[in-house]
Amino acid sequence: MNEENGNGGGPAAAERRDTVIETRGLARDFKDLRAIDGLDLTVRRGELFGLIGPDGAGKTTTLRLLAGLLKITDGSATVAGRDLTREPEAVKPHIGYMAQRFSLYAELTVMENLRFFSELYDVLPRERGERTDRLLSFAGLTPFKSRRAEHLSGGMKKKLALACTLIHQPPILLLDEPTTGVDPVSRREFWDILTELYTGGTTILVTTPYMDEADRCTQVGLIYQGQLIRCAAPEAIRAGIGEELIELQTDQWRKAQVVAEDLPGVSQVMTYGDSLHLLVDAAEERLPDIETRLEEEGIPYRSLRATRPRMEEAFISLVRDRERERLR
Amino acid sequence: MSLRHLKAVVLKEIRHVLRDRWTFILVLVTPISLLFIMAYALTVDIEDVPIAVMDHDQSAVSRNFIQQLSAGEELDVVARANSLEEVERLLVDGTIKVGVIIQPAFGEYLVGQRGLRLQVIIDGTEPESGTFGMEQVAQRTEAFVVRSLPTGSAEWLRPIELKTRALYNPGLEPRVDLVPGLISMVLGLPALSVALALSREREHGTLEQVLVTPISRADLLVGKMIPYIAIGMINVVAIPIMAMAAFGIPFRGSFGLFFLVSIVFLFAMLSMGTLIGVFMRTQPAALALSFLVIFFPGFFMTGIFYPIAAMPDELQMEAMLLPGTHYAIITRSIFLRAVGLEILWPNVLALAGLGVVFTAVAAFFFKKRLG
Amino acid sequence: MIRRIGSLTIKEFLHLLHNWWLPALILVGGALELLLIGWATSRPITNLPLMVLDHDQSAASRALIGSLENMETFVLEGYVDRMDRLQQAFDRGEITAALVIPPGHGSQVARLRAGVANPGRVRPTVALWLDGAESMAASAALRDSESAVQQFGQQLVIHHMSLDERALMRFEPSLRVWFNEELSEALYTTPAELGLMLEFTVLIFAALAFARERELGTLEQLLVMPFSSLEIIVGKALPAAVVGFADFWLLLGIIHLAFGVPVRGSIPLLFVLALGYVLVELGKGLVISIVSRTQHQAFLLVMMVVMVDFMFTGFAAPVESMPRVLQWVAQFVPAHHWLAILRGVLLKGAGLDVLWPHVVALAALGLVIGSFSLYYVRKALE
Repeated sequence: MNEENGNGGGPAAAERRDTVIETRGLARDFKDLRAIDGLDLTVRRGELFGLIGPDGAGKTTTLRLLAGLLKITDGSATVAGRDLTREPEAVKPHIGYMAQRFSLYAELTVMENLRFFSELYDVLPRERGERTDRLLSFAGLTPFKSRRAEHLSGGMKKKLALACTLIHQPPILLLDEPTTGVDPVSRREFWDILTELYTGGTTILVTTPYMDEADRCTQVGLIYQGQLIRCAAPEAIRAGIGEELIELQTDQWRKAQVVAEDLPGVSQVMTYGDSLHLLVDAAEERLPDIETRLEEEGIPYRSLRATRPRMEEAFISLVRDRERERLR
Repeated sequence: MSLRHLKAVVLKEIRHVLRDRWTFILVLVTPISLLFIMAYALTVDIEDVPIAVMDHDQSAVSRNFIQQLSAGEELDVVARANSLEEVERLLVDGTIKVGVIIQPAFGEYLVGQRGLRLQVIIDGTEPESGTFGMEQVAQRTEAFVVRSLPTGSAEWLRPIELKTRALYNPGLEPRVDLVPGLISMVLGLPALSVALALSREREHGTLEQVLVTPISRADLLVGKMIPYIAIGMINVVAIPIMAMAAFGIPFRGSFGLFFLVSIVFLFAMLSMGTLIGVFMRTQPAALALSFLVIFFPGFFMTGIFYPIAAMPDELQMEAMLLPGTHYAIITRSIFLRAVGLEILWPNVLALAGLGVVFTAVAAFFFKKRLG
Repeated sequence: MIRRIGSLTIKEFLHLLHNWWLPALILVGGALELLLIGWATSRPITNLPLMVLDHDQSAASRALIGSLENMETFVLEGYVDRMDRLQQAFDRGEITAALVIPPGHGSQVARLRAGVANPGRVRPTVALWLDGAESMAASAALRDSESAVQQFGQQLVIHHMSLDERALMRFEPSLRVWFNEELSEALYTTPAELGLMLEFTVLIFAALAFARERELGTLEQLLVMPFSSLEIIVGKALPAAVVGFADFWLLLGIIHLAFGVPVRGSIPLLFVLALGYVLVELGKGLVISIVSRTQHQAFLLVMMVVMVDFMFTGFAAPVESMPRVLQWVAQFVPAHHWLAILRGVLLKGAGLDVLWPHVVALAALGLVIGSFSLYYVRKALE
């Protein structure tokens, strides 16, 4: 990385040097709607940072702001040591940005798309051949290099888009829902690629609607109504929600759901295949009550046990807390 | 400016055009084939103007007169009417453009030098044929009157003779000057393509991925224009050949000058297209605006058909802001008047200026941002 | 089926409302444009620059020049004293016409006055040069100067020979112009301009119907829904028809109110025929839409069709003077029949009794284009 001329001492300076994306009070308005509302985000070098949040929370807007695609209404943002409000163009060589929607040229072939972006990113001609070959095999697209982009499958399109954003070997990657609409196998492959990049030292900021993907990140930020409401490592988020989880396996889950929703201490009931997940204030305390109640109602169950909350439950719990707070 | 970026954008745009055979054919051949059709439609020797005659005299003189009217190609007596109502009906349904009513005692009066008992009614709704038909009837009537009257007295009708001579286009054939004029119209099509190409990138979201690259705005816009300028130039070379070979339009000036000035014109025109593409987010909107600012005014305000001198002063100024106005002057001057830069430089300069201004405004408003 | 067409139509209308600025741009922009262009082209051809080369410099020549100068047609650009200066001015495109008065014009005119007994031998002659590189202006200049010089000469004869004015006038046919008594240019030009604008409006909406959805990949979505292709076509066509029809009345209002184009015929008749014409153009637009794979192709075709059809509106050249082949082709151009109908109803007060051949032709074209587009669109959709 070459973005800093850092020679300062002290732990504070070291931390600042390590920060590659930083926003302070970042805000963006669309007409009369404030989409991003005082967002404070810090991403350090080498992190695989997952940005999660409900639809419309401002994930895409945040990424577009960081890529210099949208004008900042208020606050400040620094990417790769450059102030986005003052020199958005200077940021561009240092980032790779992948849009949520397929944004490559459908009528061009895989190779032509790669080549086009390599030229826009000023990749030297002598490096271009080797780099495109490597990216093609990295993304598993070598057999399809002369196929038109419009004829690729959804997963391959995403991988091609990623390859195009990697062509100039950017130290920072901004990926907007790179796996949405992709089959599970391709999703896994895609994440393997991301992990490899992360291991190679690239800083990655990725948004995702999939909670299992958030679990694969080193740092997770939860964005809600344009604000960052929680930012920590995945385990810390899961542990820090202040609620516990009970898993109930039953054949009569519809009936059980109605019953469980009215029980004291249960804040949320979620269906999960043939089992129900109950968010409760304290699992061990509530287990006997639930057991009694199920027997009273004559609902047979295969198992009932306390379990560790997953990212999904943590997410729902956090969002609900936030909503409750807002209503109050 | 980066040549590498420019080249990448140019190649990409050329690929877009080449990849789909239909797009390629359309983009390449619409200008020249359109001009061919329009030139063919302008093959106007106004002749065979349909007229009706109502003969209330039925004398040898009146029959002679009718014969005089129908001699030659210009007028075509398609009906003999028996009443004024019939003449009216024929005019209303468009069967005839001119009605000639020979009143009773037409022959008697003429022979007795007492006057001309003749009424002519013309259709005032058609711009050309009605007026032309009326002129023809008037000319023949005059010739007939002159022959019927004793020598001497007839010359009173035209005491001063006006001899006319049309330079560059002796027959005042509309096609000869309209075809060079209309080149500016058909070269508006590449400008439409550029406007569509830009708005298509927004529509398809492909612009988003390009905007995050370090490419400069000017490279992106100019890179989009170059392929369409090239396609326009192919037409620029082919059009004079077609005009000369198929329609006998003279090309008297310098072809090299025509070629060079056409590059400047295409630059100005495509800058206008680029400006439209920068502001319009969807292709239908880009088409609509192109029609409103390029094609519709192109027909009526660039002096091709309706002379600019006859427009209100305010609109003459506006006409000068349209590249087509200058180019129509230039093409006619090179094709017909055989003049060069020594006379045309203000128009060439205006074209270059318009191109630079349009491109600059486009680049100014084209932020490397979404929304 | 009606209900499903209804729901599809509502969807299309919602789409239109959502993208309200597109119809707004075309309707409002088109209306303003028509005002502007109508304003530019609604005056008789006037103010053409005229230059004079007067070799004679007599009272008689000055009087003749004055007679041309006093016409609206010309603006006196200046006097020159040499032929090559005229040529220069023509080469520069500075003048439309030049009047050349030969030496001795004054004495010829004097002899004309004296030689009443035998005026034929002393007829004075002047020359008018015209710029053939702008034939429209030159033709107007020719027409107007011919009649001006004739009138001027007659006045000369009348005044100086104390002749009875009526004696001369008696030998000219009495002339009447019907339907456009004041020879207003607006009545020639604005209906053609309206025709062009209306055709474009209908075509753009029809053309984007399928080409756009296909290009953006939303057509598949529409095809998997439980609509028959006929329902899809009707659902797509209705909003375009409504926009086009509304546009017609808007544009008609403009040429009527701003340019004084009269509506002499029956408005209900115009209502029905305008609707019919809009539907025929719509069919054309749908065919363009379905044969095009992208909007780029569709829109190039639209422009091409609109520009070709413009040649048949009578603005550029009268159809009956075109080559036989094109007169025949014109019969297949809906806009040609429509302009005949429009001019007939507006200016001539014509009714179905005289317009029926055009109405039949339009109906036949509508039937052919309509069934072709139905067949073709259905085939393409399946």
